[in-house]
Amino acid sequence: MGRQAIQDELILYGRRFTSRLLLGTARYDSPSLLADAIAAADPALLTVSLRRQLSGSKECGESFWNLLRETKRTLLPNTAGCMTAQEAVKTACMARELFQTNLIKLEVIGDEVSLQPDPFGLVEAANQLVKLGFQVLPYCTEDWVLCRRLMDVGCEVLMPWAAPIGTGQGPRNARALRELRERAPNIPLIVDAGIGLPSHACQVMEWGFDGVLLNTAVSRADNPVRMAGAFASAIKAGHSAFVAGPMIVQEAAVSSTPEIGRPFSTGSSTFLATAN
Amino acid sequence: MFVLVNGTPHPLPQSRSLAALLRSVSPPVPFAVALNEEFIPGGTYEGCLVHPNDRIDIVHPTAGG
Repeated sequence: MGRQAIQDELILYGRRFTSRLLLGTARYDSPSLLADAIAAADPALLTVSLRRQLSGSKECGESFWNLLRETKRTLLPNTAGCMTAQEAVKTACMARELFQTNLIKLEVIGDEVSLQPDPFGLVEAANQLVKLGFQVLPYCTEDWVLCRRLMDVGCEVLMPWAAPIGTGQGPRNARALRELRERAPNIPLIVDAGIGLPSHACQVMEWGFDGVLLNTAVSRADNPVRMAGAFASAIKAGHSAFVAGPMIVQEAAVSSTPEIGRPFSTGSSTFLATAN
Repeated sequence: MFVLVNGTPHPLPQSRSLAALLRSVSPPVPFAVALNEEFIPGGTYEGCLVHPNDRIDIVHPTAGG
């Protein structure tokens, strides 16, 4: 396998994916719209959750389960709504049984308004879950010390937010996100939450992030299927640009067209052939 | 005597096993169960006893972000 092929694969806990887009399954107007968005996005993983059965809901029950199975995608259950480490660990255990996977998107929310992760509960829950054999993908902030603690307890993937969940604001703290990428060059970093536009996704991929997790930006677009395709293209473009190695930004203008041989110039017009 | 299944009162089964209760409730598959907020692995339902006023949560796959 060539270097390019390796760079183009997303590897999470030893699982290899050709796509770098992770897609949430919530807030679509209909199951068929969700299915079409999945087809357009071609995501590596689909995020899902678990709840008591809600009568009349289109987002749970046997039909939803059948839709998930038909996509043949890897499922990433979450612990959404958990406010303590204990709740999150119990929810993860139920998710493992329900979805038959050790993968868990760990959410421990510390603030009901911003839905900001609780760093203390997050590390505590991650520590317990790793010991229970889970492969933990923690939804965290870009705080370097928190990310280091999560790595210390055994997280092999981190998912820092770009902005609060569902806001679509794009990266709020670009400098800290880029510093996180520089400080943690070898761990997969997935930007999760707050992405609103394909340009946001492309931007973080250009910075060297390994993937992007989306939900609302696709499901609440006027045309979710078209938006799913737009995000897929943007994520590929941003990653390709990162792998290609962007030019170094210059302070002063540098002409791209050769100066030598310019007509009407006052200097020597002798053309120096370089082919010899 | 009753237990609470997803917050709704349900008659306590005669055998008092969680497995009997689940047969009575007959939830659609797949599902996972917690008893008094503790996760109960699927293979242990038969030997798990439920008591009056116990709280049973039965959860299913649902959409999530």
